[in-house]
Amino acid sequence: MINLPFSRRRFLGGAGAALAAPYVITSNALGGEGRPAASERITMAGIGMGGRGSGDLRGFMGHSEVQVLAVCDVYKSRQEGMKRHVDDKNKNSDCTMHTDFREVVARDDIDAVVIGTPDHWHALISIAAMKSGKDVFCEKPLTLTIKEGREMVDVARRYGRICSSGSQRVLGDYGGLARQVQKGELGQIHKCYCDPGPPPVDCNLPGEPIPDDLDWDLWLGPAPWAPYNAFRCGRAYGISRKGFRSWRDYSGGMMTDWGGHKFGGAMFALGLDETGPTEIHPPDGEEHKFLTYKFACGIEMMVGGGGPKYEKAEGNVPGLTWKPPTHLLERDYRGNGGLPGDVLHCIKTREKPFRDVEWAHRVATVCHLGNICYELNRPLKWDPVAEEFPGDDEANRMTWRPMRGPWKL
Amino acid sequence: MSAKMNLIACLIAALLLGCAVPTMADEAVDKAFDALKTYDWGTDRNVLKPLDDAVAASHGDAAARAALAKQLAAVLGTDATQAAKDYACRKLSLIASAAEVPAIAPLLTDDKLSHMARYALERMPCDEAVAAMRDALPTVKGRVKVGVINSLAVRRDAASTGALVALLKDSDAQVAGAAASALGDVGSSEAAKALSGFVAAAPDSLKLVAADAYLTCAERLVAAGKKLEALAIYKALNKPEQPKHVQNAAKRGMLAAMSAKK
Repeated sequence: MINLPFSRRRFLGGAGAALAAPYVITSNALGGEGRPAASERITMAGIGMGGRGSGDLRGFMGHSEVQVLAVCDVYKSRQEGMKRHVDDKNKNSDCTMHTDFREVVARDDIDAVVIGTPDHWHALISIAAMKSGKDVFCEKPLTLTIKEGREMVDVARRYGRICSSGSQRVLGDYGGLARQVQKGELGQIHKCYCDPGPPPVDCNLPGEPIPDDLDWDLWLGPAPWAPYNAFRCGRAYGISRKGFRSWRDYSGGMMTDWGGHKFGGAMFALGLDETGPTEIHPPDGEEHKFLTYKFACGIEMMVGGGGPKYEKAEGNVPGLTWKPPTHLLERDYRGNGGLPGDVLHCIKTREKPFRDVEWAHRVATVCHLGNICYELNRPLKWDPVAEEFPGDDEANRMTWRPMRGPWKL
Repeated sequence: MSAKMNLIACLIAALLLGCAVPTMADEAVDKAFDALKTYDWGTDRNVLKPLDDAVAASHGDAAARAALAKQLAAVLGTDATQAAKDYACRKLSLIASAAEVPAIAPLLTDDKLSHMARYALERMPCDEAVAAMRDALPTVKGRVKVGVINSLAVRRDAASTGALVALLKDSDAQVAGAAASALGDVGSSEAAKALSGFVAAAPDSLKLVAADAYLTCAERLVAAGKKLEALAIYKALNKPEQPKHVQNAAKRGMLAAMSAKK
């Protein structure tokens, strides 16, 4: 648990178990070869070591101050694969393997975790890690439901933890256009278009034998029980019905997957990522060709047309009060090395990361609101301050999902 | 008279007589309910699409919604499969009212269906849904019990306080931890008092759970305008025996409580 600019290493302050940690006495721990000494390093663990999670962890390992101590996945084979990589990098065999993330977050010698599990686990693991004093980098999409996001923000603020979401595209791919919007170079924007792709669908695949190296109950976690099927939990891209991203129990589909990028880019550009829409309209083939979000400032965001792209107001548009958010020109990656560099810098300095959990939560909320609107297929009103649908009992019931025991936010 | 004219005449007569005329949508819903009787994992999910559509379309039509909820709840008392009952509970979670609680509640004690019963009940805003979960609490064990406690926590059920306080001494650490966490969510003065004792006595494995529950309780008390009680909690947690991040959270909470408007 890092305590402000690098007066760290809790175990030196008295955690007896950590004093016995073998890496303290290795030559590697003394620094050299361009690496800071152990007392200046950020110790990390990776949780969810599939393609994306292991890629993220490798990205962090490219920074000399990072030392990975543990990897965790519900597939034994993925633990072993990533351990080999970490041990090669650390020139030792100390990286521990875990199936259950609770073992990882309970460790005193880990400062931060990188979470790359399927979406239905993001909030629970992030929250557990922060409650144990860890900082968090959690892949996008941040959450499965709106209430998960608010709880993540609350816990991050309660414990003063750094909690950054993913999406390298918000600044990396869409940042150039965003800066033009923020400077006012594109005029007074009235509409924007973002098309992340379709919502998820319901899964009813038949059961298959569970692979020997998989803890299926832990893969399901808080989601309703269902029989194992390779296509239920696979890594296939898009709404292919061959991977977890297709299914409502585990993901918000492409709406949340690419929504984290595209809505994230647009909301950053327009300065809308500390609020939310006040109305959501499903496509009706008439007034609303696309699912449409309306913001209090008069901006309309349409789920279509590729994007993010922006359309300026022609003439005087009633109710349009939006102005270029020039103050956001200051918001940028800090440190060196893109998103991982930004997170590491903020872990050291305790500054807000570029994809801070509040902003990521607001983006994820837009994704979820769209999915709820698609499912209910009627116009919705949303209060972005109270984070509820005013007077709409049915829609409010969809802002969270009761979790299977023993899991709880 | 042509066949078409006959049909129109029949429809007009039926409408005039106030008779319900089955529509194609009604027939599709009936067919879907039939399919639900044998529905299982691996069945084509599309056979239930008319029910999905009917649930969505019933918005604003209280009678249609009540009729659908009644039919869905009836499935729970049959020998339909786990998958069918799972589906019924998902839809009931969106449209059920107090009338369906008696049909859902018995599933709370069923190891395989307890979660889906909570899936419906936890989301239902009526008091009867919470009461059903509260009533089930003494009759369930282990992971099912933890699940019920967690649902009561989500609903911040103050009426469960006594039962939750008793569960702090449960021999199952997961149950005791869940009870502590739930008391934090309830966030009342009574819950704070119980947590005060638990923070001091909790086994090592539950120390962080206890501290977090106590911090949550303090936040609830601040929101309820009970700043002094919250400050006492923060003071109690800002002690060297607590981990550094808990001490810091207590300090942060103290500052927030002092600047709170209420």
